[in-house]
Amino acid sequence: MNAPTDRDLILRAKRGDSEAYGEIVTRHQTSVFNVCYRILHNRSDAEDLAQETFMRAYNRLNTFDIEREFAPWIRRVAANLCLNFLESQKTSTQLDDERDEDKSQSPSGQVEVKERSEKIRQALASLPSNYRLVVELRHYQEMSYDEIANELKIPLSDVKSHLFRARKLLAEKLHAPD
Amino acid sequence: MHLTDEQLNEYVDNETNEREQIELHLHLCDECSKRFSDLQNLFLELDSLPDLQLTRDLSTRFISSGGLIQQPPRWLTLTVFAQAALALIALIISIPVITTYIPQIDTNSLMTPLFEIQSLWNTWLDSLSTLQLPTIPEFPIPIIEMSSLLLALAGIFVLWILGNGLLLRNQIRR
Ligand SMILES: [Zn+2]
Repeated sequence: MNAPTDRDLILRAKRGDSEAYGEIVTRHQTSVFNVCYRILHNRSDAEDLAQETFMRAYNRLNTFDIEREFAPWIRRVAANLCLNFLESQKTSTQLDDERDEDKSQSPSGQVEVKERSEKIRQALASLPSNYRLVVELRHYQEMSYDEIANELKIPLSDVKSHLFRARKLLAEKLHAPD
Repeated sequence: MHLTDEQLNEYVDNETNEREQIELHLHLCDECSKRFSDLQNLFLELDSLPDLQLTRDLSTRFISSGGLIQQPPRWLTLTVFAQAALALIALIISIPVITTYIPQIDTNSLMTPLFEIQSLWNTWLDSLSTLQLPTIPEFPIPIIEMSSLLLALAGIFVLWILGNGLLLRNQIRR
């Protein structure tokens, strides 16, 4: 028997089958969590917001067009939640101090790869949060400039300037000697 | 003139409308093609970032019982009020029936407070009966009482099955 498609599961979830929705969560939780982590750079906040993302999405499932792909939609919901979260945190500067390091274990052979990805994460974490959001939406969610402007409700010129400056900063960080 | 950062970025993002000019320049200018390949490398690095793993399973909240409770349909919640109303009607109807049996019980200590309650009920019922519409014809009292009592009880039973049974359906299924 073939595994049910996302579409099948969502149809069932729309009819109130929470187990089918649980299966959807199992499939997409890592990708949603990583969206949150790339934006927030704090594991516990990212996990909380990933959970929140799935709760919100469940409540809004009737607005989801079944003919569309679920993955981009849920990632967008996650990015939006993180944006709201960052805005609510704006007054406090704590966030930047609370970013955590990736402490997960990896086989010794992958140390170099891990160091490199840790450096990328550090570089991303060092960006101002509005730059980080634009990078997330452009690079990881493959949205167009116009879509990003709509999503973040900022002018197109800001999308471009944030993105181009973010890339410049990232390149500097990544090529700086340790 | 070299390409601006904006031109170069828009080009790699496929968001430019001066594609040919930019490609021509990249072809001729080593400096700009170096900037272009640096940008492409940055994209590759960002793409290479592996996914981190979660420390907890977010799906348990949805799968485990007592997680998400589905909103019951509105008509189902209305049965609660219908049950309450019918139960009250049944109670009112049953009072005269019960009162005919109460004198047969021979426990005086129990009787006094019961009589007080009963007289309270009776006065209330009297005031209620004076409120009755005068158009209602006089039926043989025991028949209407018993049959309407049974009807009300049957109604409560059906509504109970519908309301509570359906409300509990999801939890029973697990
Ligand atoms: Zn040039």
